[in-house]
Formats: sequence, C-alpha cells, structure tokens
Amino acid sequence: MRAHDETFLREVLPPEDRVIEAVVARYQRVAPAITRFARSISGNDELRVRLGSQASASKDEIVIDPGVFQAAYARSAPVTPTEVALTSALHEAIHLIATDFDEERPIPESWLAHQQSLEEDGAEPPPLAELTSYDWVEAEPGTDYGPDGELDEIYDVPEPVSGAVTVLDALHTVAGPAAEAMFLSIEDARQEARHLSHFPGARSVLSDLYRAAVPGASANARPLGQFALSCFLLVGDYFERDDLQRRVAPHVALALDDATPFLDLVPDLDDPWAVGGVALQLIEVARMHGLLTEGAAARSAVGRRGEMEADQMQIAEGVDAVRVVTPPLADRERYEETRQAAQTVSAEQGRQADVDQAGDPATDQLMKVSTAPTVYLPTGQAGKLVVGEFPVEFGRFAPQGREMLETAARKWGVAQRRVSGELYPLFLANQRRGLRTGFDAGDLSPYTPLLLGAGLYERMFERRDLPNRRSYGVSLLVDGSASMLQPRDIRSDRKRPWALAAATLGAWTLARLADELQIEFEVAIFNRGFVAAAGDTERSYTERRGLATGALRRTQGGAAERLTRTVNHYLVKSFPSRWRAAEDALAGLFWMASAPQEAAKEARKDPNAAPPISMFDKAANVDEFNLAHAAERLSARNVSHRMIVVLADGMTRGSVEALAETASSIERGGTMVLGIGIGDETVQAAYSRNQVVERPDALASAMVDGVRSALFRSIADEGGDTWWTHATEQIAQYTS
Amino acid sequence: MADTVTFEDPHGIGAPITLDKATIPPDLPDADIRRDHIPQPDPYYVDLGMLYRLAALELVRERRFVGIPLHLALRGHMGTGKDHDLEQFAALLGLPYYRIPLTGEVRDITLIGSVKLHGDGKGGTESRWQDGDITRAIRGPSLVNLSELNAAGAETLFALHGLLDRHQALELQTGEMVRLRDDVRIFGTLNPTDLRDYAGTQTLNKAFADRWIIWEKEFPSEEELEAMIERRHPTLNREIVELVAKLAVEINESFVSGDSRTRVETPMSLRTVLDRIPAGLDMYSAAEDPLRRAWDEFVLPHIDPYDRDHYETVWAAVVRRGPAGSPYSK
Repeated sequence: MRAHDETFLREVLPPEDRVIEAVVARYQRVAPAITRFARSISGNDELRVRLGSQASASKDEIVIDPGVFQAAYARSAPVTPTEVALTSALHEAIHLIATDFDEERPIPESWLAHQQSLEEDGAEPPPLAELTSYDWVEAEPGTDYGPDGELDEIYDVPEPVSGAVTVLDALHTVAGPAAEAMFLSIEDARQEARHLSHFPGARSVLSDLYRAAVPGASANARPLGQFALSCFLLVGDYFERDDLQRRVAPHVALALDDATPFLDLVPDLDDPWAVGGVALQLIEVARMHGLLTEGAAARSAVGRRGEMEADQMQIAEGVDAVRVVTPPLADRERYEETRQAAQTVSAEQGRQADVDQAGDPATDQLMKVSTAPTVYLPTGQAGKLVVGEFPVEFGRFAPQGREMLETAARKWGVAQRRVSGELYPLFLANQRRGLRTGFDAGDLSPYTPLLLGAGLYERMFERRDLPNRRSYGVSLLVDGSASMLQPRDIRSDRKRPWALAAATLGAWTLARLADELQIEFEVAIFNRGFVAAAGDTERSYTERRGLATGALRRTQGGAAERLTRTVNHYLVKSFPSRWRAAEDALAGLFWMASAPQEAAKEARKDPNAAPPISMFDKAANVDEFNLAHAAERLSARNVSHRMIVVLADGMTRGSVEALAETASSIERGGTMVLGIGIGDETVQAAYSRNQVVERPDALASAMVDGVRSALFRSIADEGGDTWWTHATEQIAQYTS
Repeated sequence: MADTVTFEDPHGIGAPITLDKATIPPDLPDADIRRDHIPQPDPYYVDLGMLYRLAALELVRERRFVGIPLHLALRGHMGTGKDHDLEQFAALLGLPYYRIPLTGEVRDITLIGSVKLHGDGKGGTESRWQDGDITRAIRGPSLVNLSELNAAGAETLFALHGLLDRHQALELQTGEMVRLRDDVRIFGTLNPTDLRDYAGTQTLNKAFADRWIIWEKEFPSEEELEAMIERRHPTLNREIVELVAKLAVEINESFVSGDSRTRVETPMSLRTVLDRIPAGLDMYSAAEDPLRRAWDEFVLPHIDPYDRDHYETVWAAVVRRGPAGSPYSK
C-alpha cells in the first residue's frame, strides 16, 4: 500500500499532510469502501456513514468525528497516512456499530454477592469464575402472557424488569469506576479482535500503531495502568504475554499470569455483560496483587471514592496512551454523549446526507475545504481554493438592478446595445462562417456600398476566406472583498461606493459582448471569508457561519481561522452555463454594489429571502490563487485565444512577486492577462498589461475596451495588415 | 468404462444422484466429430453444488417430465464460472459440448442454417442447404450452451422459440423438420442486465425468457474460493490462498452493492483469482512482496480509474503487506 511518495508517520510528515482538511480529504478517498465494510459488518444495507463534529451511532447512521482520525496521525509508527486513513475510519465505524450497552438487566446475583463481600468485612466472596456465569435469559417476544392469561399483543413494549440497570451502571454499583474503565478497555480490544479479524491488513496497521506506542506507555504507566494496558493488548492479541511481562513491573507480571484464564475467555464472548464479569474478575486479580489503591483513605466513603477514581484514572491513562481512543469506549460520559447525540440531532442540522456528506455546519465546512482544489503557483506555493456558484438569491434584486444598470450605463457612457460594434461583422461572422463580413458569398453586404465608396473594398462580392480555427475564451475576475463596497471619490466633493458597481457594469457589458460574439466567457467574483453556498440567504449564511466558526474554534482551535476564512472563487457565470441564467444574479449584485445600504436594509428586513450580502467580508484576498485557478479553467476550454481580465482594488494577501510570477507564467502559456487596479497601483507591479482607474466610467470602459482591443489584435495577428487594425488606436495601449 | 456417473451433493444434504452417461450412435455421420466435442473433465474443477443441481434437474426430467421442455439458463456476473459448470456437466455425462456465443452479430441464419452456393466443379454452381450452429449441434447427442443469451437481438432469438417450447423442433427452409432429440440438452448463460458495463447486453425478451428456467450463479464464498485455489494450485502458500480469497470476496461484495456510491464496477472474476494472480505470484516469486506485484500487474490494470481508490482500500484493509518469501512451496 505504501506508495513511493508516501512517508511513514515515524518519518517527518509534512505539516500540510497533518492538517484537518488533509485528513478529511484522505478519508474521503476511502469513504466508499468504509461505508461498504460498515454495512457488511452491521448487516444493514441502509447504514449511512458520515462525518460530523459529534460522534454518534444509531440504527441507520453512524457519525464519525474526524478529530479522532487526526489524533491517529500524531502517532509515530511504521504506517503511512493512507493506511491510517483507512484504519482509523474502519476502527471508528466498527466501534460505533458494535458498542451498545443500553440493554437493562437485573444485576446478577454473583455480582451482588461480590459487591457485598467488598463492602462488608467477613462476607464470603463468590468464586471469581461465577462472575462470568451469567444466567440471564431474555424473554422471547410473543411468548409472554399478560396478567389475564392472554397472549400479549406483538407490539406491546416489554415490561421493564424491576431493578434492571445497564451494564455500566451495574459495574459502577458493584466495583466502582475502576471496573467500568477496565470493562471499556477490554471491550474495546474484544470488538477489535472480533470485527477486524476479517480485515487483517487494517488490523496490522492498528497493531503497528499500538506496538509503537507500547514502550513509552508501559514505561510511564503506574502498575494498575500497566496491568490494564497488558489486558487490553492480550485480549486484542496485539502482544504475547511473555513479551508484555518483560515490560511491566514484576508484581504486574505475576498478576498477568493470574488474569490469563479470564482473558482467554474474552475473544469468544459476545455479551457485554459477560465481558463486564471478566472486568470484575480482572479488578479482583489486580486487588489480590496490590495494584489497586487501598490506603488509609479507604476507611471513609469519600476517601474510598477518591481512591476508586484514582484507579480509574490509572487504567484509562495506561490504556489510552496506546489505543486509538474512540468516543463510545473512552469513558462513560463520552459513551452517553455518543448515544445521546444520535437521538437529539435536529432534523435540520443532522440531515440525512450522502455517505460522504457532512451533516452539521462545522463538518460541512470542513468537507468543503478538504474537497476544494489545491492550486499550485509557479513559485511552488500551494493552497486550497473553494470554488462554488455565486448565490442565486442575488437574483431577487435583479429588477432594481436592471433599472439601475441602464441608468449607470448612460451616466458612465458604457454602450449596452450592439456592444461588439464593428467587431461583430469582422469577428463573429468570420468565426462562424468563414466570411469576413458574415454574409454568404453572393450576398450583398449592407456595408458594401460604404466600403466600396471608401475605397476599402475593390469589389462588390466577397471572396470566401480560408477557414480558420480561431476561437476565444475570456475570463473575468472581479475582486469581491468588502473594500470594493467602500465609498470612493466620485467627484471632488462627493463619495460613493462605485468600485464593485462599476466592475459589475463592466462585467455585464463584457458578458453582452461575449454573448453577441458567441465567445466563451466566464465571470467570477473572488474574495476571502466564510464561503457562501449557492442557495444561501442572508439568514442561512450568517447562521451557518456562526455555527461553523464556533464549532470549529472549539474542535480545531487556531486552525478554525484558516478553515472558515477561505480563499473563495464564486462563479457568477461559468463557461458552460448560459448568460441568460446568470443575468439576474449579476443585475442583483449590481444593485447591491450600487446601493449597499439599501441592500443591507432589505437583508435586515427579510433575512430569509435576501441574498447573503454579508459574504463580502473585510479580508485581504490572495489574488494569485484565483488567477491561477481561472487560468486553469480557461486552459481547459478548447479555445485558441485566451484572455483573463482581473479587477482588484488592493494588495494581495500573498505577495506581489507571487502574483507577478503567476501572471507572467500564464502569459507564457499563451493567455493574455490584463490587470485593472481601482485606485491602487499594485497592478502595475503584478501585471505586464495593466491600467489603473480612478473613476467609474474609466473602469467600465477599461474592461470592455481592453477586451475589444485584444480581440482586434488577435484578428489582426492572423489576418495580416488590414485596414481596421490601423483604425483602432486603443490596441497599442493594451497589447504593447 | 463406467456407463453411469454419480453426482454427490457437496453440501452433504442430498442423496447422490446417478445418471446414465451419453452414448454416441456409431451410425451418425458426424460421430467422430461429435466424440471430439466431448470435453475433458477438469481435474481442478470444484463443484460448488451446481453440478449436483444440474444432475437433480436431469433426474426430474427423466422421471416425470419426459418430453417436456426444461431448458436451463445460468445467470451470473462475469467470472462466476457459469460456462465452466456446463462444460464439466457435459464432460461427466460424456455429452458432446457445443458452446454457441450469441453475440450481437449472430443472425438466425447463422444459428439455423441457409442455402449456399457451391461450385459444381464444372464451372457452374449449385445451391445446397448448410446447417447453422444449432442445427448441426442438435442432430446428435449434445449439450448445447447458448452463451450470452441476452447479447443476441430479439429477432434472432425468436427463431429459436419453436425449438425451445413444446414444438421442440426447428423447421428448416428446406422443409426439413429437425426435432429435438431426447439426448440433447439446451442450456444458456447470461450476465445480469443492470447498470453494469456488460457491453452489448439487453433485457431478455419476456417471451424468450419464459422458455427457460433461470438460476442465479452467485460469486463463490471465501471457503469455496479457497477450495478452488487449493485444488488448482496445491503448492501455493496457505496464507496467500486465504488473502486472495478474502480480497476476491470483499471486492465482489463491493461489486454487488446496490448503492452506486459504494460499489466498484469490476469484480474479481474466477479467471483473476485462479489464473492471473497465481501466474503473477509465480512470475514475481522473487519480489519483496510477490502478492503486491501480482496485484499491481495482473489485477489493477483491469480496473476503471475511478475504482482504484476502492480497490486499494480493500487491499489495505485485507492484505496491506503480502507474505514475504516464495509464494509456492517446492
């Protein structure tokens, strides 16, 4: 399984391989097989396995906490990260499926007699062997007779047996928390031995993880901890007894000899109560060898309780230093949390999702980040980029947006009809039918009299151009950080938030141009912050952000910032989608950008319907990742001429050098990159083709004219020295 | 040479069944060719119960259902050994075995026959009837295996309706009526038609399907696979036998999973388990991990790229590291 590029955990594992998103990404590769294994083990084809921040297990669903996987990667053992991904997930699935201590029964007589002998001096203890000879017979459904002698209804709930308790309660009552801890340890090992026997590969990984941890754990553990750890390892068949006896204190080694007959029984047991009996036997063996804490404090109830808790701690510490701690078998509280979580998870947050889907906002976010593509820069840096659709709810503001777009276009002098202008006959038709003007040979072009009169054409009918394979792709990247919504100087005496509005108008116009010319086109908004989903409203976005951020801070500490403030790439209009489908969202965005205060008012008024305007966060972007991703998307299109227009208003959070290197490597790959800076001169350092604009009208026209000029140039390059290339003066500005 | 053959129930439940072996009438014009079609018993074949079931059906046919058409089709995924079962049944009964693949290109004239032109040696031609594959097979004792039943077009299969129902005869264009002899058995095999990639297969026409008894042939269990591997490769290291059987069972379990998100599209066939992996083990016996090399070179190339992770996960869960040393004992 170890690939050439995989290191063992005992070697230096790069930090990026240990972060939670890498751990989750690795899990996702094994998730389908893990789900299939879990279904086979449980015998339930409907079982769902998903990740969540709270481990839980119910009949048809188990939720695994990825934090458990991450803990396994902290080990130093001769296993690869991929092996750990598989084993830790399978281990969790098995324990979550197999752990069920909820059945209530009366405490066995032999256990009660044992308890009495512990509490009363002089009381005769029962033989230890009797503690596992448990004669409980579960009443078979349908054979009970009611008080009046009639057969009970099938759907009758069985009468609770008086004095019935769970096995954990029973152990706690009989021998205190130490017995409980011992039970959870050997039950853990029993489940692994039983259910992993069919997966020797995964079992060997677990064994390697444990064996690597044993020397340190054994040396640090106190005698009772050593004893419990040895019991755990013997039941799981991870070590030979002789080997263990050499590693533990002499009196612990003797205790192991006495414990062996009881331990030998465990692998064949399948009743937690019988395993509980073995736990009691082992505690008694420990007592006989003086491994339990029994000092002067034992004379008082409080002192006795303290000693028992100390014993419990010793057992747990000894075993936990080696085993991969699974929530349902960690301790009683964690077990109950696991069982409880399955019942209390709300329908909204615990939705039944796909096998590889998360069900709560924090894990949802974790999954999003782990499945996000990694973008590699020419400088060698790499980072995650969350790519998603732009929230469609912005379309709600579309009517106001369209009106305002018309007004703004007039005001800023941006044409909205026949945007392509003279490009249309020269460019589109050429591309479509192999003719210069777009009219079939033999047709009389309406331009012909003019062109003839001007001396530009020599004859009335055109000749067919040689077919060419020219095709175009344009990608527009617009900065979507909150600073784009800041008021800026519009006139000397007035400030308005025009940057994003003008950029959106430019995007709108460019989209029309591309649509008219039928060239492939994409518009993306980029920012950094908590990523919005396509279906988000203001309320769903802010709630999800709050819940995910809070939960990730609790579970991931300092990493929460990285996981919640991601580099985002929202596709407003992707290459394959139709422009018409994106018009509303872009129009709505324009309205929000032009009147952010009114939009905020709308969002406050009806957050359930308003688009997530809070997604425009005050955080510096990492432009180079978005640029590299846009270039990658563009290069995947089957086009001969590629062009990216980036519009930003400030410094990248990365480095200008990395951004410049990225832009220049994209240029070297044959894609033209045009950087437009809004009142910021960073673009001059980062992009070889650039323009800095200070006014909204300049911005929109810079975007549109820049693309137009590049299109002219591309035709000129292929078409030779034609009249219209001389007529277009702007070309020099962008293509020099 | 014994003229009967006894079939034992490998599960030890049913009583042994003794059947008469077939005899080839010496007066048949193609008796020698027919004898040549009797397959050899495979010394490595392990009956998982199918031969016994086939024998039980044969017994039923002889006892009460003489003259009643009871044709059997085995349906199962690739590499479950359907055709091998039928071939071995023919071998034990001493029946000439005709395996006729019903590919999409097969037409009724290929199966039944047609009039063809032959040179008369004098510069002219004459037309003669030439039997098709099925007609030729059923003119004498035979076990006909129409493999890939659901790959042939419905219009081709319609031509067989008369042969398979109570009519039990083929009517040739020449007017000849070729009746189904009582020493001819017609069987078929087919892959299940679901979303799996069995190119060229289609749902069996209901009328055609109604002329068959259809039995499912499942993937063998772990114990069955171990028995097969040990029979075929008795010197193979026991640990490897167990691991290969486990791998196959787990992969095939994933293959038959009803949930498309948790299944693989390529099973581990008996050909992989019994032929390819053992060959790889022999070839790479000096490698550090011969089983892994055999897996890399003889199994993974068959797998769709999107199934790789699943296959590798199963490998890691079941094997992780193959046993060191030579896979075969001397």
